[in-house]
Amino acid sequence: MKWNIHYRETWLHHTNPSLKLMVLLLLFIGVLFVHNPNVLINFSLGLLLLFMLYTGYPWKFLLLFFLPFFLVFVSTASSMILFGEGKTTWFRWGLIHVTEESFLRGMHLGFRALSFALLGLLFSLTTRPVCLFYSLMQQLKLKPKYAYSFLAGVRLIPMMIEEFQTVRNALKVRGGVNNGLFEKMKRYAIPLLSQSIRRAQRIAVAMEAKRFSDDNERTFYYEIGFGKNDIMLVVVFIVVTAVAYYAGVHYPYIPVEDVR
Amino acid sequence: MKPIASVERLRLKFPGKDTLLFKDLSITFYEGEKVLLLGPSGCGKSTLLQVLSGLIPHSIDVPMKAERVQLPDHWGYVFQDPDSQFCMPFVDEEIAFALENIGVPREQMKERIENLLEAVGLFVDPHTDIHTLSGGMKQRLALASVLALEPDVLFLDEPTAMIDEEGTKEIWQTVKQIARDKTVIIVEHKIDHVLDFVDRIILLNDQGKIIADGQAQTVFSHYKDVIASQGIWYPGVWDEYMAKRQYRRSVVQQEEKMIHLRQFRGYRLRDVKIRVEEATVRAGEWIAITGKNGAGKSTLLHALMKLIRTDGTYELYGEDSKRVKQLHRLLAFVFQNPEFQFVANSVREEIAYSLRLEKRKEAEIAETVERLLRRFHLWEQQNQHPYQLSMGQKRRLSVAASIVSGQRIFLLDEPTFGQDAKNTFALLELLESYREQGATILMVTHDENIVKHFATRRWVIEDGRLVKDEPISQHSPQAAVPSV
Repeated sequence: MKWNIHYRETWLHHTNPSLKLMVLLLLFIGVLFVHNPNVLINFSLGLLLLFMLYTGYPWKFLLLFFLPFFLVFVSTASSMILFGEGKTTWFRWGLIHVTEESFLRGMHLGFRALSFALLGLLFSLTTRPVCLFYSLMQQLKLKPKYAYSFLAGVRLIPMMIEEFQTVRNALKVRGGVNNGLFEKMKRYAIPLLSQSIRRAQRIAVAMEAKRFSDDNERTFYYEIGFGKNDIMLVVVFIVVTAVAYYAGVHYPYIPVEDVR
Repeated sequence: MKPIASVERLRLKFPGKDTLLFKDLSITFYEGEKVLLLGPSGCGKSTLLQVLSGLIPHSIDVPMKAERVQLPDHWGYVFQDPDSQFCMPFVDEEIAFALENIGVPREQMKERIENLLEAVGLFVDPHTDIHTLSGGMKQRLALASVLALEPDVLFLDEPTAMIDEEGTKEIWQTVKQIARDKTVIIVEHKIDHVLDFVDRIILLNDQGKIIADGQAQTVFSHYKDVIASQGIWYPGVWDEYMAKRQYRRSVVQQEEKMIHLRQFRGYRLRDVKIRVEEATVRAGEWIAITGKNGAGKSTLLHALMKLIRTDGTYELYGEDSKRVKQLHRLLAFVFQNPEFQFVANSVREEIAYSLRLEKRKEAEIAETVERLLRRFHLWEQQNQHPYQLSMGQKRRLSVAASIVSGQRIFLLDEPTFGQDAKNTFALLELLESYREQGATILMVTHDENIVKHFATRRWVIEDGRLVKDEPISQHSPQAAVPSV
């Protein structure tokens, strides 16, 4: 089974994961307080540009990753557009009531969801879990106990997917399950969970057998520090935010400054 | 000689069990010794290793009491399951994890990692995904990361139990090279490659008592019967088995065509993973499917069961398989790991499962299930949960539950893998009895002895292709191949 997609490493991959996490978290919260749709649209476009140019993945995969989040955009926006309240009615049919205000609010919410998604994708596509946890231990003083447990957990995921396929095949050769959803879930959950619990316990013992503990001084195979890519990261996000704000205020697409 | 690890009057009991696993067990190991611990499964060999290394009670919480315990200062522990002893995704990172734990400076790590990989004969790029390694390679990586701790004592807890013959050989070769000046304490069920390495054998019985402790060759020859009855794979076990069995294979070569393949191909995604130009399988045949790791043996079984996409001609009993709606009523499939196959909460219900799906009559189900429970020696366990069974019982149950619908074609994916000698022979005899009644067996195996003594034909798979299809000559039971 192939799990690895080949990608090009860009400057975003070589930034400090803790810093990147902080910057993106900050923007995440910041987006919550943007009420001008023009600014938000610009900001989303900026993120989209970064996503397409600097995550280093082939177009095919970028589109694939983006697709579910685009659906989130559509569904978030449409529910607000179709059922929201407002004064200037554009269209009315039964429960559906589209007004100018609800349309703008819906689009605004959609773009907010989209920028959340893009921030998340930008982070996860350019950060190896191993580097993230090494950085968290070194820069943010996360306890090794937690960091390595997470890493061991990450390793279990592909194993579980493989086991899931085995269980599915096993059910097929026995004639399948003809009971309901609950029964079906049980058939999958019990063998997968019991195997994982046992495996997790064994890995924990194996880690301690290799003298893993929180007490002793440990060294790090990957030393993760800061470099010029980190300056670039901060500058790029300041520029994107500033340009989005300036253009949104001075060259608006729609003559609305606040959708509330 | 200086003692390096010992316990005195050890008492240990697992929570929930009625009896003590060890009662006043005393044992001492000396510097530089190579010791093999033998005993039936469940007698506490692994537990003893865990006590001697201090994993019990420091990492595994089991109540124990001992008058005196001497633990070695520097030790390493290799576990049985190659998939559950690593916590990092890449080879170099895994070894680095051990180096980090003992505080080796970062600058020295790269070189140390390279040296360790060389020492265990693992010639791969250090930054290789562990997931892509074979079982034997994973266990040698486990050895490398344990060696990183610079141990004086190595505890090896059945390191080859889940490894095929080739990997087993490699692992023991490696151990012999790296452990010359170390103390090595081994628990193992397949002792072919271990016997010439150890100089002391300790034999335990099922009550956790030491029944023999002494020089390896002496103990082995004096207690051979005990060792045989414990199901251990020792050199010559096949010869003795075949001699005892008064071997007479009735070759029921029948004309009835069970499977016919022509230009048959199996796909994973868009890639052809297995192809068969032409092959016919008749009733009463036992076909051993052999080939290297990853050659496509299991894939062939998956294709025959249509668990993957296939094309070309595939006929069952002369009929196009596309027209067969419920393939699982004609073909029985047994997976390598029995646990993934279990779907019910008791042994009895597990066997009845397929019959209930087919909505057979209650009386008929009860009768069939009872017959199989007895035939597969699971009668006493019929109300237990499948997960509570022993390795051998689990295996037998998985076979019984698969063939319950009266299928006459058995597809088996390494069914004897990880089984001890006793259970392996029991399973093979069961399968043989079905074959004699006209069933057909297609079985993936790595064991040359099974091919030689049980199969009637051999298929060799190479690079996703059936390249050889040859009958196995019928010869005398003597001259077994060195057993696993």
